[in-house]
Amino acid sequence: MNETKPVEVDLDDIEEICEGFEKREGSAVQILQRIQEKYGFVPAEALELVGDVLGIPKSKMYGVLTFYSQFYQEPRGKFILRVCVGTACHVRGAGMLVDKVKEELHINPGENTEDMLFTLEPVACLGSCALAPMAMVSGTAYGKLSPDRMASLIKQLEVEEAAQEQEKETV
Amino acid sequence: MAKVTINGIEVEVDSSMTVLKAAEKLGIVIPTFCYHPRMDPAGSCRICAVELEDSKRVVMSCVTPVADGMRVLTESPKIHDARKTNLELLLLHHPLDCPVCDCGGECPLQNMSFAYGATETRFESHRNDEPEDIKSDVLVFNANRCILCGKCVRICDEIQDVHAIGFINRGFDTIIGPPLGKKLDCEFCGDCYEVCPTGAITDQFTRYKYRPWQLEKQQTTCAYCASGCQIFVETENEAIVRVTSREGVGPNEGSICAVGRFGFNHVQIPERFDTPYMRSLHRLVPATWEDVLPEITARLDLIRKKGTDRVAGLISTRVPMEDAYVFQSFFRKVLRSNMIDSGARFGFMNAALPLVSATGTLRPLVDHEDILKAKVILVIGTDPVAESNISGLFLKRAARKERAKLYVVDSEAITLSTRAKDHIRLLPGGEKLFVSVLNEEIARNGALSPDWTARKEELFKNWNVDPGAYQRLVNDLTSTETGIIVTGRKAYRNENGSSIMNSIVRLIGSLGWAGKVGSGLFLLPENANDLGVLMMGGTHEWLPGLINATDPSSKSRWESAWGRRLSYGNGGSLGDILKGIEAGQINALISLGENPLSHFPSGSKVRETLAKLDLLVVLDLFQNELSDMAHFVLPVSSSFERGGHFVSAEGFVQPIKATMAHWGESLPDWEILSKIAHGMGESLGFESLESITAEILRFLPDLVPSSRNGAHYQGPTGEITVPVMSKTPPHKADRESVSVKYAQWQSGTVSANGEVHPILGEGDFILALTKSLFHSGKMTLMDPNLMEIQSEGKIRINRQVARKRKIKKGERVTVRSSFGSCSMIAEPSSSVAEFEVLFPSHFANEVVLGLFPPDLAFDRETGVPVQHRVRVFLETQNPA
Repeated sequence: MNETKPVEVDLDDIEEICEGFEKREGSAVQILQRIQEKYGFVPAEALELVGDVLGIPKSKMYGVLTFYSQFYQEPRGKFILRVCVGTACHVRGAGMLVDKVKEELHINPGENTEDMLFTLEPVACLGSCALAPMAMVSGTAYGKLSPDRMASLIKQLEVEEAAQEQEKETV
Repeated sequence: MAKVTINGIEVEVDSSMTVLKAAEKLGIVIPTFCYHPRMDPAGSCRICAVELEDSKRVVMSCVTPVADGMRVLTESPKIHDARKTNLELLLLHHPLDCPVCDCGGECPLQNMSFAYGATETRFESHRNDEPEDIKSDVLVFNANRCILCGKCVRICDEIQDVHAIGFINRGFDTIIGPPLGKKLDCEFCGDCYEVCPTGAITDQFTRYKYRPWQLEKQQTTCAYCASGCQIFVETENEAIVRVTSREGVGPNEGSICAVGRFGFNHVQIPERFDTPYMRSLHRLVPATWEDVLPEITARLDLIRKKGTDRVAGLISTRVPMEDAYVFQSFFRKVLRSNMIDSGARFGFMNAALPLVSATGTLRPLVDHEDILKAKVILVIGTDPVAESNISGLFLKRAARKERAKLYVVDSEAITLSTRAKDHIRLLPGGEKLFVSVLNEEIARNGALSPDWTARKEELFKNWNVDPGAYQRLVNDLTSTETGIIVTGRKAYRNENGSSIMNSIVRLIGSLGWAGKVGSGLFLLPENANDLGVLMMGGTHEWLPGLINATDPSSKSRWESAWGRRLSYGNGGSLGDILKGIEAGQINALISLGENPLSHFPSGSKVRETLAKLDLLVVLDLFQNELSDMAHFVLPVSSSFERGGHFVSAEGFVQPIKATMAHWGESLPDWEILSKIAHGMGESLGFESLESITAEILRFLPDLVPSSRNGAHYQGPTGEITVPVMSKTPPHKADRESVSVKYAQWQSGTVSANGEVHPILGEGDFILALTKSLFHSGKMTLMDPNLMEIQSEGKIRINRQVARKRKIKKGERVTVRSSFGSCSMIAEPSSSVAEFEVLFPSHFANEVVLGLFPPDLAFDRETGVPVQHRVRVFLETQNPA
């Protein structure tokens, strides 16, 4: 297993992100989205800095951050397993998919694996009911899943990641 | 204008008014939770619902503007149902823990539920059980009781401009608190807790200690700074339980600061003197008034027989004007001494002397209302939020809401800097040059002599003044309709304070603001009654009424008023008193709450000088270095247990009232002095406090008590919502006489090469002693509540400098000057200037004072001690 690396926030990077936007209140959400793209979550230091740049008090920035469920305050896994638990998927056994992930990775919904590779995130509906039960990982939809196919998907992602790591090391 | 009918009564109101305000005008009360008269409406609580008769629609009266012909019902079956449903919903998740809630008994939510009978709910849900946020040492947030009206968040944003708390999460999970799950970090004004309509915000000092209906309330004037706040001291069995404010009441309009709200506990701790003490065999032993008074009297009598000016007196500016009046009467009439001085000598005299000689009065030309109307405001030599918090609030409001052009001239970033149009970050030491160049530039209309031009260049080159910002300031000052200059402690206590204040007073004349209504100088006194004590003649310069104490004609005015000849000597200020004691010409000192030892380094030998006294009588609340040396220590009443009047920065003469029982054997200062005078066979003629007030008013009728309530004053019961202005006698200076006097005073030229007191010593930094927002003088160090908020002094260092020097927060650093060294805890701060380090003066003990030059130096003009800053080196203590 890989060691979890603490995320280091480079304030210059945050400033660079801020520069791409107009300095007005309305830019706050977009900037936070860009920061989350970069780090997978919004670090507290970054939040304060964005507030300083835009002239928005910390208390208000925190209000924005906690208002939207799209923002995270804690680091998240590399692969977010978005398992659909909407009506269509539910009747086709989405619950079993979630259980399988829990069993395989020993995490509960909203939690990360220790190696920070996976995060389980049940979502209400991904709009692909024809593929039910389905899940989405890194923008790719995986349809007509079964618990076994879910397990092999996880395996596949792990293998891909290991290969990538090795490639990096050889380079 | 719009004509509306409310509950069948027709009224014509401004069409920008809301239905709620229009109803207020008719004296009709509409219940509210989230509405607050000083803030923008939010319309979030839905309890102020009213019915529109024509459309049968239910609208929120606090956000609905009136329209011509509108017919409104504030009470109807439909409205009753709407409000009741609303309450049911508000109580849905509420824990209903009223039996243990501090708010129970004075809770608007409770009262409203009672009024609308929301006894049962048709809905089923869980009760909130979020744990309380008790991380802060001051305020506790209980999200379960919260109805999310948002008043606390808005008052912190709109009135305080602090933005410490906000809404967190969304929907049912919304809570209110400080960001990022951290401990609350703010100015601890407690306004949020004051406006909360439930028990969601409570404070650590008083929670679970009272039931509101058992408390006795007494309105009084806060005795810390000179903002003149009206506070309500609430007591149970004559002990103070809490201090509150009330919306619209007093010049503070319902806001008070941390010191005023929480600094009440020092007056009821066992450390306070509760009995007189007298020295016996090198020790102070408890005694009775009957023991000490004859003893003091006899010894004073012997000393006064030696001649005039043999007994010196010091008076704190935290005593009411009545005591100051008795103090100077006692010295001038009975002891035949004019060797008297007040706490104002440590700073405020630098402002008072030029101002009185220019205008003949200490009453201000402008007040807080003028600040709100001013177009240009220059804040120089002060951090108003820390020094005079409520004046600070008005300045914030002027800049934010009224869009005044605010200029801040200061080396450090003060709270107001973020709201300033320009913050001129002058380097420490250049203050005198800045104001004198500014005055010359404006007085000469820009036509500077070569000498002055050179000095102006120096300002830009050596003192970091931005030429553009300077020019904008000059342009705005000279072209504005109304302008105000605000100055305070940092200017008074500058090593060149006397000439800085002289230039600022001149500047008002040069700008022609003396005769211009709405423009002028607003001084922030350092203590609650600086103005009152000086007006009563508490220093050697002035007799009551600020007339020259040594001039025969003004002296004869008081001689005829008092019906006796005044034969005191020439007198002198603190410096002269110390010299006199040293030379053996002064044999006794009576101090009313002043402690000169706490102002001077031990090397200055003040202690050795004072040890030469034959008689030292100290009237105080607590033991200190001076009382340790005293022959007699007399316990005095605090401002919470006695009456009298204070003069606020705005010129209001406001009463303080006894709110608790006298502590032990303590007596008010005036009564002690009267008793001593009586023992010496002289009567001052005062039997009661009222008789003193009456005498003052007989001779100085313009000091008749005055005050101002906010525009939203709600009447004594708090239930009548009609705005009522209290009677306001003139509190400001008379413009006409001031402008005439000004014209006579402002003559002659100022040399471009005047003497400058340098900041002494060697070092990379300039150490300045500042005023903290959470303390007032040294007395509040005895207050358990305020010590909980700020318990130690830390040296504030510029953040970048700290990073460069690897100084971490909380680490100890050695501060070394040419005169001494000491260890301090570092606190990096982004607001401090690069070459400056700041330490709160309250915590400046003997060791810290040891950093300052030991020679006693006083300003030649004003007698104010000059050393308040010194150059220092910083050394880290961590091993490399």
